[in-house]
Amino acid sequence: MDQVLSSITNYLGLLFILLCLGLILFYLLSDRGRARLNLRGIQAFTHFRREVDLAVEAGKRLHISLGRGNINDLQGGSAFIGLTILDRCARAASNSDRPPVTTSGDGVITILSQDTLRGTYRSLAAEERYDPTNARMTGLTPMGYAAGALPAIHDEQISTNIYAGHFGTEIALLTEAGERSRSLTVAGSDSIPTQAVIYATCDEPLLGEELFAAGAYLGAGRVHSASLRMQDILRWVLVVAIVIGAILKLLGILS
Amino acid sequence: MKKILPIINAIIAVISGLFVLLGYFFPGVFGGIQSTLIGWAIILAAIALLLGIFNLAIVHWKKIGSEGSRHINSIALLVSLFITIIIVSINGPTGSWSLWVFNSFQVPVEVSLLAVLAVILVYAGARLLARRPKWNTILFLVTVLVVLLGSAPLFFIGEITPLSIVRGWLAQVPAIAGARGLLLGVALGTIATGLRILIGVDQPYGG
Repeated sequence: MDQVLSSITNYLGLLFILLCLGLILFYLLSDRGRARLNLRGIQAFTHFRREVDLAVEAGKRLHISLGRGNINDLQGGSAFIGLTILDRCARAASNSDRPPVTTSGDGVITILSQDTLRGTYRSLAAEERYDPTNARMTGLTPMGYAAGALPAIHDEQISTNIYAGHFGTEIALLTEAGERSRSLTVAGSDSIPTQAVIYATCDEPLLGEELFAAGAYLGAGRVHSASLRMQDILRWVLVVAIVIGAILKLLGILS
Repeated sequence: MKKILPIINAIIAVISGLFVLLGYFFPGVFGGIQSTLIGWAIILAAIALLLGIFNLAIVHWKKIGSEGSRHINSIALLVSLFITIIIVSINGPTGSWSLWVFNSFQVPVEVSLLAVLAVILVYAGARLLARRPKWNTILFLVTVLVVLLGSAPLFFIGEITPLSIVRGWLAQVPAIAGARGLLLGVALGTIATGLRILIGVDQPYGG
């Protein structure tokens, strides 16, 4: 029995990942016939969609900043969400005279954003619209990255700034620049201190897991909706597990 | 070829991702291949960095050609980049001239921006109530004020003990509970993002 428990503890992480995968596949298959998932309203995404339409009509640009996360560690997760948002923006603005511009503070993220833009335009049969200089690396240090992204916000007729990725407190420089240029700022990050800064400085903050729900809210595909349902279910499972653990510890059953 | 390449990319990404993931749980079996793949990823990231700098130079080179009044910034960037590359190439990354460039230009500029950042955060905090007049905004600002006043002794008054106690409780109980709740959401979101890439549905690598 002890050996079984020890093996389970050792492979708990793998079991959890397999559970996540199982739930995603289950919801992906079970939602096959459903037209669209009912999602709770998140104001940031409602405003974002409206602003994208307005930007296309007004001939203005969208600026998507993907932060300076390194994909070799955990910070890369939020940058991948930024790439999903970039894809949706490029599709929505495909009729616009001004294609979206992307800034980032990491070489790999820059190349991936170029690749995402190229892939999106290719799928829309509009490869001639792809310009590699629309996906830029602006700096490698936090402040260098922010300073390099500022001219894009001020000089390129930006109507909406979307910050999705790993940022530090330097994001306040970017959101302030967006405010000064009277453009909407939507921001989300995986970093907790940055989320506090975003809450204080941004028009539409995305807190906690809201950033990771972007794909489902922007219609990136059924798998995004399925993974969102998986996150909702497992969040409750974890909350219940934490509460039970706290009660057991309070009663002295758990050491 | 245009149709086959994305499939090959997806297969490589999925298999590599699987090996790296399995390497964490079965280090004896997959540990070797995991470290090899991570080593390759680090080398590729360094090459991507060079390409990113090249991209930065091209963007500013184009700006010089197209813009009229603001191209001075782009010229400054390209000249600085060129001079820095030459100095570091000759002197090495830890040479005295390279460190002089870093300490005399990079550090002061970054510290200045950090000072600007402090002012911006105070200004944004003051403006928050006008931007979002809700009860949670008031709670946010009151908490900020209590933590600030409870963190450091004040002029002439010294440390206010009740505020220090409240600050300690705020930092230890609600702040940690809230941060853990947010981290839980972030962790689940990160797992979901990773799994979508691992099963080849999300293909951010030009698939």
